[in-house]
Amino acid sequence: MPIGSTLAHPAGIQPGGSRKADPMPDVLETSLTAVPANGGGGSAESRPTVPQAAESPAFRHSRTHRLADRWAHLAFLSCSLLVVGLIGGILFFLASRGLAAFWPVAGNMGRALHLSEVFLSADWAPSSDRFGILPFIAGSLGVTGLALLIAAPAGILTGVFIAKMAPAWMRNLMRQVMDLLVGIPSVVYGIFGLTVVLPLVSHTWLADAPASGFAVSAVILAVMIVPTIVSLSTDAFESLPSSLDEGAQALGSSRWQAIWHVLIPAARPRLLTAAVLGLGRAIGEAMAVQMVIGNNPQWIALMRESTDRAPFLRALFTPAATLTTELVQELPNTAAGSTWNNVLFAMGLLLYLLTMVLILATRRLGRGKEA
Amino acid sequence: MLIPTVPETKPIKLSVRNMAFSYGEKKVLDGLSLDIHAERVTAIIGPSGCGKSTFLKCFNRIHEVSSAVNVSGDMLMDGVDIYRGGIDEVDLRRRVGMVFQKPNPFPKSIYENVAFGPRLFGVSDRTSLDGIVEDALRKAALWDEVKDRLKESATGMSGGQQQRLCIARALAVNPEVLLMDEPCSALDPIATAKIEDLIGELKENLTIVIVTHNMQQAARVSDYTAFFWLGKLVEMDLTERIFTTPRVQMTEDYITGRFG
Repeated sequence: MPIGSTLAHPAGIQPGGSRKADPMPDVLETSLTAVPANGGGGSAESRPTVPQAAESPAFRHSRTHRLADRWAHLAFLSCSLLVVGLIGGILFFLASRGLAAFWPVAGNMGRALHLSEVFLSADWAPSSDRFGILPFIAGSLGVTGLALLIAAPAGILTGVFIAKMAPAWMRNLMRQVMDLLVGIPSVVYGIFGLTVVLPLVSHTWLADAPASGFAVSAVILAVMIVPTIVSLSTDAFESLPSSLDEGAQALGSSRWQAIWHVLIPAARPRLLTAAVLGLGRAIGEAMAVQMVIGNNPQWIALMRESTDRAPFLRALFTPAATLTTELVQELPNTAAGSTWNNVLFAMGLLLYLLTMVLILATRRLGRGKEA
Repeated sequence: MLIPTVPETKPIKLSVRNMAFSYGEKKVLDGLSLDIHAERVTAIIGPSGCGKSTFLKCFNRIHEVSSAVNVSGDMLMDGVDIYRGGIDEVDLRRRVGMVFQKPNPFPKSIYENVAFGPRLFGVSDRTSLDGIVEDALRKAALWDEVKDRLKESATGMSGGQQQRLCIARALAVNPEVLLMDEPCSALDPIATAKIEDLIGELKENLTIVIVTHNMQQAARVSDYTAFFWLGKLVEMDLTERIFTTPRVQMTEDYITGRFG
């Protein structure tokens, strides 16, 4: 049988019932090849007749597959659209309620505020129609900045230790502990702060009253975000080739000099990413901070008034408030559509945008690493 | 086995006597004795796993960075034991530079790579640093290629340039000995030729020990060749003699390609 005739019938069917090559896969193929080959001769009398390709079970099988594919595609697509829609929807909702504070919108109970009397004023007295949110912005930035100042060096140095110094058993143990710590609910950290850390420093030389304020909040936040920073910086240091370390030490660096002058700079983009992710987690945290910060919207005024202690102690131990803590405190107690309520939404919007900026920053830093 | 008997005018720089080396329980080198002359190139050849790289790394104790090791016997530099003679390993590494198998420039600028060592040792004024950097880059035959882009990242250079940068970086601290661990194994033939030329120039005032798996390279660049097998020194002699009239059959079998 000439090869050409087989090629002329792609479905593998020979008019006379004799066939040689079967391009069809699947079960049919195996059952056919199980028949002893007979050198291309035409004696195929006992073989089953192969159905036309379009009628074969394999074909029908693949058609149902394609249908299932299409449904799956649709399902995946709609799920992702749902997520995108939710995120967009939340933004829209926040924006529409938040921006209503500044525009005379129908159904608004209060007056339209001026941007400057919200963002540039430190006077928060909603019942007297004064809505300066500067204390909360400053509070959020202050407490997260302070937390990062504690957590970033501690986390990065722990990362160096785990990746480059610790013996294998300790490395494994530490990594697992860090992963566990990341998963602890923030309220647990809050309880720890409220019942252990606060009493520890209250009524001491540090704070003559209950010690609520930035210091304790920042410490609690730092403890919360250290595991994240440790995890990510351990990865960063482990991904560095050991030739860098060896190269530095071969030039006469001490261990510490190699870490400080070569390894940390080499890992810098990923360390920055770790810090920013930690910052993101800290700035959005409400529960733990609310339990220890003292929730005093008038903290800036209070700090200005009291002059009995050193300024930095005053700054650290004056009961204060942040964007998140104020939202948690007040949002349930305000009427929808009131100016007060709208301003709280504006604060939510601000938080949303801040977090967004941080996430975009991490992505940029991550890309900088590859370049 | 202390074989070289030709009139050698250069003093002995490194001297190894009955040296053994082990990682934990595993013995890698045993009963090694040999001398390395100043301002000469000594090549160490042998099949993979014969311990030649390990031996090289004993001269700057760099293996101590990553694992617990045990060295016995004597390893002397200028007559002082580098393990027990009260030499700090950080000082030792300043005197004994190293170039690794794969180029390992730091992810910093070309300038900062070369200035790294001098900075460690307290050189901080700009003029001295500039001088040291230029000098080292010239010695490494890299100056003309990079003088206009010293501020650019070293990781953007070609492999051959990176390796010469690593040589410049090692030279910048003015070492007495330069250890080279298969320095051309990751390079193309042209880059390899450049490094080999460089080795010839550098030995003017430097003791060079080079590990190589490439016997032609050993023949081209070295004055002495030591043949290692299974952690032992089989034969060491003038390179010329090793490659023409080796005295041990096994050496001949190895260099003629019968094993390894």
